[in-house]
Amino acid sequence: MDKVKIGTCWLDGCSGCHMSLLDIDEGIVAVLQKADIVFGPLVDADEWPEGVDVAVIEGAVSSQDDLKLARTARERSKVVVALGDCAVTGNVPAMRNGIPTRKLLERVYVEGATAQPGIPTDGVPALLKQAEPLHAAVKVDVHVPGCPPKPNAILFVLGELLEGRTPDLDSKLRFG
Amino acid sequence: MMIQDFAAFSAVREAGLAKLLPSKPRIAVGMGTCGSGNGAEAVYHAFASEIDARGLAVQLVPVGCFGFCAEEPLVSVWVPGRPLLMLHRVQPNHVDEILNGLGNGRMPPAEIVLCKIEEWDHLTGHVKYGLGYPDVPSWNEIPFFNGQVKIVLRNCGLINPDDIEEYIAIGGYQALYKVLIDQNPAAVIEQIKAAKLRGRGGAGFMTGTKWEFLAKAPGPEKYLICNADEGDPGAYMNRNEIEGDPHALIEGMAIAGYVTGTARGIIYVRAEYPLAVMRIERAIEQARAYGMLGENVLGRGFSFDLETVEGAGAFVCGEETALIASLEGQAGRPRTRPPFPAQKGLYGKPTNINNVETWYNVAPIVSKGPAWFTETGSAKSAGTKVFSLVGKVHSTGLVEMPLGTPLAKFIYDIGEGGTNGRDIKAVQTGGPSGGCIPADMFDTPVDYETLAQLGSIMGSGGMVVMDEDNCMVDVARYFIEFTHSESCGKCVPCRVGLDKALKILNGFTTGTATREDIDAVDELSRMIRDTSLCQLGMSAPNPVLTSLRHFRHEFEDHILAKRCRAGVCEDLALSPCENSCPLHMNIPRFLQLYKEQRVEDAFLSVILDNPLPASTGRVCQHPCDDRCRRAGIDAPVNARDVHRLIADEILLTEKFEPMIQKVIERQQPTTDHQVAVVGAGPTGLACAYYLALLGHSVTVFESRPQAGGMLRYALPEYRLPKKVLDKEIELIERLGVKFQFNVSVGDGVSLNDLANQFDSVFLAIGTWKEGWVYLPGTELTGVMPALPFLEGVARNDKVPVGKNVVVIGGGNAAIDSARTARRLGADVTIVYRRERKDMPAIPEEIEAAEHEGAKVVYLAAPHRIVGDKNGKVRALEAVRTKLGEFDSSGRRRPVPTDEVIRIDCDTVILAVGEKVDPDFCKASGLKVKEDGTIEVDRYSLETSRDRFYAGGDLITGASNVSNAMGIGKKAARNIDKRLMGLERVANLIPDFEYEMETPEEPGESPRHVPGEMPASQRVLSYAEVSLGLTAVAAREETFRCLRCDIRSVER
Amino acid sequence: MTEKVKVRIDGEVIAATAGQTILEVARANDKYIPALCYMEGLSAVGACRLCMVEVAGVARLLPACTTPVQEGLSVNTTSPQLHSYRKIALELLLVERNHTCAVCVSSGHCELQSLAQEHGVTHVRYPYNYPKLGVDTTHPRYVLDHNRCILCSRCVRTCAEIEGAHVWDVAGRGIQSRLVSELQRPWGEATSCTSCGKCVQACPTGAMAEKGWGVEEMTKRRTVVSRLSSMREGM
Repeated sequence: MDKVKIGTCWLDGCSGCHMSLLDIDEGIVAVLQKADIVFGPLVDADEWPEGVDVAVIEGAVSSQDDLKLARTARERSKVVVALGDCAVTGNVPAMRNGIPTRKLLERVYVEGATAQPGIPTDGVPALLKQAEPLHAAVKVDVHVPGCPPKPNAILFVLGELLEGRTPDLDSKLRFG
Repeated sequence: MMIQDFAAFSAVREAGLAKLLPSKPRIAVGMGTCGSGNGAEAVYHAFASEIDARGLAVQLVPVGCFGFCAEEPLVSVWVPGRPLLMLHRVQPNHVDEILNGLGNGRMPPAEIVLCKIEEWDHLTGHVKYGLGYPDVPSWNEIPFFNGQVKIVLRNCGLINPDDIEEYIAIGGYQALYKVLIDQNPAAVIEQIKAAKLRGRGGAGFMTGTKWEFLAKAPGPEKYLICNADEGDPGAYMNRNEIEGDPHALIEGMAIAGYVTGTARGIIYVRAEYPLAVMRIERAIEQARAYGMLGENVLGRGFSFDLETVEGAGAFVCGEETALIASLEGQAGRPRTRPPFPAQKGLYGKPTNINNVETWYNVAPIVSKGPAWFTETGSAKSAGTKVFSLVGKVHSTGLVEMPLGTPLAKFIYDIGEGGTNGRDIKAVQTGGPSGGCIPADMFDTPVDYETLAQLGSIMGSGGMVVMDEDNCMVDVARYFIEFTHSESCGKCVPCRVGLDKALKILNGFTTGTATREDIDAVDELSRMIRDTSLCQLGMSAPNPVLTSLRHFRHEFEDHILAKRCRAGVCEDLALSPCENSCPLHMNIPRFLQLYKEQRVEDAFLSVILDNPLPASTGRVCQHPCDDRCRRAGIDAPVNARDVHRLIADEILLTEKFEPMIQKVIERQQPTTDHQVAVVGAGPTGLACAYYLALLGHSVTVFESRPQAGGMLRYALPEYRLPKKVLDKEIELIERLGVKFQFNVSVGDGVSLNDLANQFDSVFLAIGTWKEGWVYLPGTELTGVMPALPFLEGVARNDKVPVGKNVVVIGGGNAAIDSARTARRLGADVTIVYRRERKDMPAIPEEIEAAEHEGAKVVYLAAPHRIVGDKNGKVRALEAVRTKLGEFDSSGRRRPVPTDEVIRIDCDTVILAVGEKVDPDFCKASGLKVKEDGTIEVDRYSLETSRDRFYAGGDLITGASNVSNAMGIGKKAARNIDKRLMGLERVANLIPDFEYEMETPEEPGESPRHVPGEMPASQRVLSYAEVSLGLTAVAAREETFRCLRCDIRSVER
Repeated sequence: MTEKVKVRIDGEVIAATAGQTILEVARANDKYIPALCYMEGLSAVGACRLCMVEVAGVARLLPACTTPVQEGLSVNTTSPQLHSYRKIALELLLVERNHTCAVCVSSGHCELQSLAQEHGVTHVRYPYNYPKLGVDTTHPRYVLDHNRCILCSRCVRTCAEIEGAHVWDVAGRGIQSRLVSELQRPWGEATSCTSCGKCVQACPTGAMAEKGWGVEEMTKRRTVVSRLSSMREGM
């Protein structure tokens, strides 16, 4: 039997959810017996591959690049998991949403700069008007809230998905 | 003067009668807010100064509104001994003539005479004005008043609201007097209960029961409140009631005060109703002065007083607990019940709240008894209700009808149908808390229970009529926006739920919503309805829920087709004309290009939107005219004739060849897809043209020898010269479309053959099967259906037409047949069973037929065709019809009478509609609907068979050229999208750069219409009748466009 | 007012006192009905609509916190529909303002957060509002963060009914409703505020907190209000 293909990525997030994913400790062994991680910060691949079974996405959708990656991952994956509060609710990245992007960038890169004030345009993706939860951009199949979600919750979700079941998270997880 | 005994009461009554029916003429000007808004003040002052200047013995008084708002200002004129004459649309310049007439007995100008009143039942009293004016209809003979029962509005518009003596003259305060003398409060409450009077504010709770609660509650501190915080958009009956008859309210409350043992009443009235506030305050002062309020009312030892409190206009303060909070000086937020106000109301004391209108029913019930009251209305809902009939209805105004009256009566009889003959789509009852009821349910009786079953409410009685120009999604969105901004914010479902519902609905009107949003807004609406704290939240989702129930397809159109049929949702349309055009032509663009004298660009713009611009420029039903905003200034822009000219300037000149190249330049790279189109009529041609432009290889199969379908074989040469059509078809062929003529599906080629040879198949055969009515005599020689007749003439066949032709029908085919028969030298009579305005044919065509000498007999239903002994037609017999009830199409159903007419003739042409050949549809193996047409997905046009699409008449039944082409274009877009995986039609249009400026201050300039051949010459040949616009006229016409395609600058 | 009645809650027959509300009876008998705006010791306002229950013979849903019991009343506290409606109400509260649990002093001790978890809210189906709201830090000891206020009005009632100061009220209407202290004056300048802090203890979320605590550190003494209230009644 072919191994399940898992892709992971982080959009606008702190990587904490990926840290929590690593924190599943020896649980990773069981996961890797059934699955290959084919894309992600830990894997050397440039582009989200075709035919992924499970996409695990951390972080809010904040920039053009986030949006593109989220859409690509969605198109090329069977199941999309929003991992952690940023992907599920927008969380901390969304705290900027009350402020117009232009003002925000000026505050940080011009008023807040100690050297070379100026809004960067080259090599950085344009910010979206608002940082949104993942499901505002693409269809999400499983939501795993938490900041970060506990390792055993992640392990549970992956375990269920690898068994071909939809994880029942009812009342198991909370925001924050 | 203080009335403390019966003698004094009678004396005042006599004095009042002397004012109401003086020994000199009396002129009363309707000066409610509605009258004043329409210029009643000026009319009043004109009368006043003229009467003064001439020193006339005429009594001039202001009165309230008589209810017919569409006809304001209303003025009544009474000369002793004669009927009261109600005048409408009175202007100051009529004053002279009216006053002159008083002296010499002449009638006012006929155009301002509305009706007469010979006697009037005020219920508490009766007034006989006099007899006469035989030519003037009685008030209840004119449609707007016919069937109205004035109980609440018994005095409005007839007595001076500022004069208590006139109110007493018509029996006012007698009921109060009676109650005080009888000294039996419990009996009065029993009467109110027996009358089944229910609260007119909307909830419909039994008024008598509520009074009983209050009567039993411990005193002495209790309150009566009149809820006059009328806040529904479109509802204004309470305002008019108070403005026209304030004393009836005072009397109703005073009676309740006595029978419930309450000494204080408060009228909570909107501050936005200054005139009502002024009138009621003045009335309260007078009532105190005459002993109807205050200590020792009417000398009977009862004390009761009233005060008014002006509300700041928060909609939620119409909710009783919020109203009480507002009276207490707190923020107007409702609280949960229990405790009910009857237990703990104002300042924690027992309180009873009734709507304005409820109070108006009290005195008549007390005077005439409950049995009289329950004679009117339905079993569960006794009495009447005043409705404000507004919106897209011909006659607007306040209408008082018995409860249980069907909606159709309001809308078609009282309201006389849609404005400008438009089709009515729905009616919204109950304001923002109510729901929309579709036209096909207009037999619904208007009462509390039935409306609730339909998801609507009676509410305070708003009735907003909507026609095809109203978008039901936008209506729902509008009402949610209203309730959202009026939500007090206390409970979560209403505060946040409505906010979210509004955001989701905004997604529909801007086309960004998804299919899931339909369910989301439905679920959310139910949650808000079921869990909100007060009636505002509970009823706020009604407009959404009822629209979803009855108009779900409109929601789907907005998101799946990104289309707002009504053209209301601006984000989904370029302009109203584009939205109405079945081909979605960018009309402002070609007008502007032609205006800039860029004829070739204009042609390119036109031809890329519409492959048959010269033909449609001649025969289109021009729906764009109906939507053109220019009509609001003078007349719609004649876009159809402009694109006809643009097309003619290219197609019929030497510019044709070079322009073909320009069109070919727009062609997309060749694909390897093969598409078959069955049928070379307008639908098939449009589809083939676009598929070819998109680079596909297209083969058209046609059973006839040439392309064009109905355009070629049914439209007479004088309307559409075939050389024009030939050029258009040539252009389509030059794009590479292959035609196979004389091949019919089933005969020459099977659907399976097509499925094997082509990637997609589009079926677009027309409606060639004659609709046949059963009529005795159709087998006679000389009877023929319209289409074969027209086709025979078009093919130059010898068509046997006699000297006297009767055409049966009212559609375009009927008119075409009649005009063609005229050209064959026959005398022609068209027989149609309804009225002229109901004819589906293009109005200009009907007019042209008449000019050419065709006679039209309306309201005649063919009954039989009479033959001679040789089996030849001799005459047509028809039954005269009269117009009966409205049917679900909003037209009056023709009802046969006894009168039979006979028209001698030798030929009868039946033009009673065409239908799709049901055998073809059945044989196709495709899923067929009940009416015999092929079932397709509304949006993709896909049939039940994979890769097979159907369009045109096959799916819609008989339609017209432009609609048919619109479907062909849509089919091409969907077929291409499926083949290529993306939307590509927009790529065909080059970037035209043209001026984007709206005209400054557009002045009046008349619509340009093409010249025509004189009618006398027309009938001698088949030469084209319309001469088309001249280039100068067409260019001038383009300047008339208001450029609705230009959006205002970013806000 | 001490008439005894028998009612049924989720099928179980329970003895109650007439005049008690359904919620009071349920809580006294360890029957759980969720609620946010209700707090023992305060008047009930029926604002959060989480305690809606089904009552036999009544077509509408009724709020348990304000509906008095009567003899024979039969109540259903859970059903798929009630669950769905409660879930929607919680989602609506979560999207209304910027709760951002991850950085909240009350995370882990927040009634909204735990109710959301309890009702299986793993994400919110409605678009977030992201309103721009302020934080009032003018009071020397307490802080009011409007981003986390759910307008339950527990603070309003605590201050008015228990402390008798009525510093708090709700201004504006609809989605624009805001908690205000003393006619829009900053909390620190509200002269009627006694700085007793009972409002902070009554607040179900992190909207009101004591200064000086970090994320997840602010726990509240929720029984303060009911204890004071019962002591007053005992007097």
